[in-house]
Amino acid sequence: MTISGYLTLALILFAIGLYGALTKRNIIVVLISIELMLNAVNVNLVAFSKYGIMPSITGQVFAIFGMAIAAAEVAIGIAILIALYRNRATVNIDRINSIKDEF
Amino acid sequence: METAWIIPLFPLASFVLLLVFGKKLKESSAYVGIAMTLLSFVFAVVALVDRLQSPTYKAEAVWLTIGDVQLTAGFEINPLNALMLVVVSLVSFLVHTYSKGYMHGDDRFHIFYAYLGLFTFAMLGLVMSPNLLQTYIFWELVGLGSFLLIGFWFYKEEAKAAAKKAFIMTRIGDVGLLIGMILLFWQVGSLEYDEIFRAVEEGTLSSGMITLTALLIFIGAVGKSGQFPLHSWLPDAMEGPTPVSALIHAATMVAAGVYLVAALFPLFTASETALLTVAVIGAFTAIFAASIGLVQKDIKRVLAYSTVSQLGYMMLALGSAGYVAGVFHLTTHAFFKALLFLAAGSVIHAVATQNIEKMGGLWKKLPLTGPLFLIGTMAISGVPLLSGFFSKDEILLATWASGHTVLFWLAVIAAFFTAFYMFRLFFMVFAGESRSEVKEVKESPAVMTVPMVILGLLAIFAGYMNTPWFGTFLGDWLVEGNAALGPAHVEGPAWIMYVVTAISLAGILLAWLIYGKRSISRDWLTAKVPALYNILYNKYYVDEFYQYTVVKATFFVSRVVRFVEVYIVGGAVFLISGIVKVFSTLGSWMQNGQTQMYGAVAAVGLALLVVIYALTGGYIQW
Amino acid sequence: MVSSHVLTTLVFAPLLGILILAFIPKTNEKLTKIVGFLATVPSLVLALTLYFQYKAGTSLENYSLKVDWIQFNDFLGKGLFAIDFELGVNGFTMIMLVLTAVLGTLAALASALFIKKEWKGYFMLFLLLLTGMLGVFAAENLILFFIFFEITMIPMFFLIGKWGYAEKEKAAYSYLIYNGLGSAIMLIAFIVLFAKTGTTNIAALTDILASDGLTPVGKEIGEGLKVGLFIALLVAFGIKLPILPLHTWMVRVHVQAPPSIVMVHAGVLLKIGAYGLIRFGMEMFPEQFESFAVLIAVLGVVNLLYGAFLALIQDDFKMVLAYSSISHMGIVLIGLGALNEAGLQGAIFQVVSHGLIAALLFFLVGVFYERLGTTIISKLGGMAKGLPITAGFILAAAMASLGLPGMSGFVSEFMAFLGLFKELPVLAAIGALGIILTAVYLLRAVLAMTFGKAHREFRGTPDMKPVEYVPAIVLTGLIIMIGVYPSVLSMPLETTLETIMLGLGGR
Repeated sequence: MTISGYLTLALILFAIGLYGALTKRNIIVVLISIELMLNAVNVNLVAFSKYGIMPSITGQVFAIFGMAIAAAEVAIGIAILIALYRNRATVNIDRINSIKDEF
Repeated sequence: METAWIIPLFPLASFVLLLVFGKKLKESSAYVGIAMTLLSFVFAVVALVDRLQSPTYKAEAVWLTIGDVQLTAGFEINPLNALMLVVVSLVSFLVHTYSKGYMHGDDRFHIFYAYLGLFTFAMLGLVMSPNLLQTYIFWELVGLGSFLLIGFWFYKEEAKAAAKKAFIMTRIGDVGLLIGMILLFWQVGSLEYDEIFRAVEEGTLSSGMITLTALLIFIGAVGKSGQFPLHSWLPDAMEGPTPVSALIHAATMVAAGVYLVAALFPLFTASETALLTVAVIGAFTAIFAASIGLVQKDIKRVLAYSTVSQLGYMMLALGSAGYVAGVFHLTTHAFFKALLFLAAGSVIHAVATQNIEKMGGLWKKLPLTGPLFLIGTMAISGVPLLSGFFSKDEILLATWASGHTVLFWLAVIAAFFTAFYMFRLFFMVFAGESRSEVKEVKESPAVMTVPMVILGLLAIFAGYMNTPWFGTFLGDWLVEGNAALGPAHVEGPAWIMYVVTAISLAGILLAWLIYGKRSISRDWLTAKVPALYNILYNKYYVDEFYQYTVVKATFFVSRVVRFVEVYIVGGAVFLISGIVKVFSTLGSWMQNGQTQMYGAVAAVGLALLVVIYALTGGYIQW
Repeated sequence: MVSSHVLTTLVFAPLLGILILAFIPKTNEKLTKIVGFLATVPSLVLALTLYFQYKAGTSLENYSLKVDWIQFNDFLGKGLFAIDFELGVNGFTMIMLVLTAVLGTLAALASALFIKKEWKGYFMLFLLLLTGMLGVFAAENLILFFIFFEITMIPMFFLIGKWGYAEKEKAAYSYLIYNGLGSAIMLIAFIVLFAKTGTTNIAALTDILASDGLTPVGKEIGEGLKVGLFIALLVAFGIKLPILPLHTWMVRVHVQAPPSIVMVHAGVLLKIGAYGLIRFGMEMFPEQFESFAVLIAVLGVVNLLYGAFLALIQDDFKMVLAYSSISHMGIVLIGLGALNEAGLQGAIFQVVSHGLIAALLFFLVGVFYERLGTTIISKLGGMAKGLPITAGFILAAAMASLGLPGMSGFVSEFMAFLGLFKELPVLAAIGALGIILTAVYLLRAVLAMTFGKAHREFRGTPDMKPVEYVPAIVLTGLIIMIGVYPSVLSMPLETTLETIMLGLGGR
């Protein structure tokens, strides 16, 4: 098993996440897609820390960091979302545009 | 002579003092001006007396350094300069005194005196300049003084127009002078008169260059001295107060052109063409202006055209290599023309009009002005034994000797015209019955008549400085030790003097027959040849001609340029901004406010960067 | 004070004023104005000290300052790229600093008189502008020059856009777009120079460009690139000067900006264009400048005549002055295009002289606009009746502007034409027509405003206040001083001129 397998997996995960983040209208799905991209990065980090040119434990430490940050981010993101939902009664990002400049 | 630098500083001090304190001094401003010019006059006389015994004095200091060349400023007292200093400061002093009476009661009395001081400063500075640049500087400053004083009654539309015209027309000439000066500078490497003359003498200048620069400098003189075709500002300049006309537009500033040609005389004599041009322009202007003077109705305009005509005479003299004749006539003319203007001012003061058809019969009512005006008229007409007779005679001799026969006869005819229109003026104003609307005509106060009396004496006796009978003191002294200036006196056939006398007496006789005795109808010219009369009365339509050619053309070009500015330059700007707007419309399609669109653009951009990185290895070589 | 800190203090002293202004309540009009004015004074004092120290014999090199600022390695390790904080002064820049400081203080005084609203913001921006202008002339390297150049732009945008007349927004945008474009082109040229040589110091660059062969970082600068860089600089500074046809923004700014801002705009900011052409164009690219000299002289004559003809038919006095500025900048180009000492000296004299004259004229525009509420020539008329002193100063300023001897305009015109007549007499003769036209359009406008029948009742309209005399008299005095004794300017310039002439091959 070489590094390319892990990298391919990470690439696919990232691409799915990117696609979701750019196209979905439901803001929860967008949030989930961002999580997917973060995890793709984590996979890369771990893969390089094991099979990279200079293997070291740093990569895995970073992956743990990433998870912690992702958890914190989700917590804050969901909190904002719930506040928004209570306010606007929608999760469609096209309709959350009240600070858009109207010329 | 070492202290001569102080001469122009007195009037300058008067200018500054009156500008600052004039408002408080009110009419006592006159005393400041009079005292300062008197001091100038005293120092000028001292310098003249000094110069009679000792050689030319010159002092200079560095004014400006350009590369290796140093331009200097200083002063020079040579015979011509010393003579001019005395003439200018004397006439200025007399006019300052006279104005105290004439300008009495004017709101801006102190400003008038301040401007007079400024003008006198510039004029005195002009006539003691040792180099062309300094001459040019003061040359323009006298123009400023003239401009300010013509426009002194600024609320009159005519005064405004006249001031503008005077400044612009002389400026046209000045540009010629400026170009001539710059060309000389690059040829000679200096603007000192001495250096220029040395270069002319040694032949470092090509003859073409001498002719070109001399002609360009002459254009400056044409503008300042009101020679054809830049003459039309001078009659209009009569909108200024009459003492100003006497000082600036008769005695001093307008003679600056003559002075300039005289000061650069060796340059002019080195070129046949230049000299001939000066002579031809001078002779033509003399007869041209005299013919206009025949029919004018405004007392000051008649005098103005006679000034133009007399300046033409001086130019003719210089152009005929008659250095002494030109300078001599310049001096005598300064006295009798200043006298005529001051006397005219006295008349205007008394009857409150300038139209000679509304005057008449003033001989008894103005017992001092009348005889003084007659003295001036006789002097300018060339009546024997008065100053004008001798100087005019010198000019005609010089012209005859130079071989320009046509010009000589033109000058003789102009002399006839002069005698005629001057006595026409005299008879219209002083003879016959009164046509004035003012009931009580009073003679002017002593402060006005005393300067006139002094000028009257000078108008009679100034000619004896240089006569063929008693010796040519002035001429000898002017040309002493300077061969380039020509002989002190030109010998000529004796009949010239008789012809001139006869001609001017004939003019006087004709004027008397028409306007004095009335044996010939006044209106014969208007009745017989109205076209000729109209042409003369409208000054050959020169102003109209300029209006329809030069002025119209300038404004036409302006409109063309405005078209370019608005439609071509503006259009190009509009086009470019239009193109940018099209692109920005395209670009704004991507900025639709959706975060996801921005994300997509960012992702594509990143992908592109990665591709570029992969292809180039991360470093673009250039 | 340590002499090497003089320049830093001189340049940044106005910023202190901004700091103090920040703590003054908005409503305190009087204090704001006083602080705003006083904050310009230290720079003025220092600039004058510099001048008199120089007169007394102190070498200007003592004042130069160099501090490490930004350093980084080339990616390929070919050399160290360093941008230092370098300020310095020579004869030419010292004159420009004095001019800027004088006009800055006078304009601050004029601002206190003419600005009617939001003084706090106004003075903060004005002081920032002043720092930028002083910095431009003191900067000794390209990057620093560029930064100060940009610092002048932003406050100007707001000062025009907020405190100007009716079409102020349009003028402000026009200003920003043209000048932004100019500075972008300039930045590209600067960066190319930096990348090619590894230095931005003007003196060092001049040496590198003068010598053949590789630059210290081992690159080559070909002839073609040099020409390209020169053209880029010509366009960049041509917009600022402005050279035809890049002038439309400047006319708008002249007309729409408040008079106190036009004083510094016409007086100093336009001169940055001339300064850039001399310091970057002429000093760094002498050969290229030489090959473009005829073009520059032609552009100068075109500018001179084009501006003069347009000034002849304007009905707004501010428009007349705007086009007269274009016309007078033509004389700068004429002097530069002459490529000899007389011409160059004339160009620099014209820079200073026009700065003073334009500032004086616009100050006077402010004075009478304040009283009569219009600058349209046909609606004025007979002003000398009601406001004799103002009218007198306007006439004096017009005389200076049309090049009356005894005033600074004459000396510069004379030298510029003296220079050009040596090289291109025919072109110079055509340009000399401009001297006549200048007299025509100025007299037409000024006499129509001041002379003639009074178009209105002036009763009760007061003439100039004592405090308004200060700028008018100081500027008129300086104009006359330079006109009567031009050596005050030419002496400090001598060394600078010699250096440039040496670069041009010692003509």
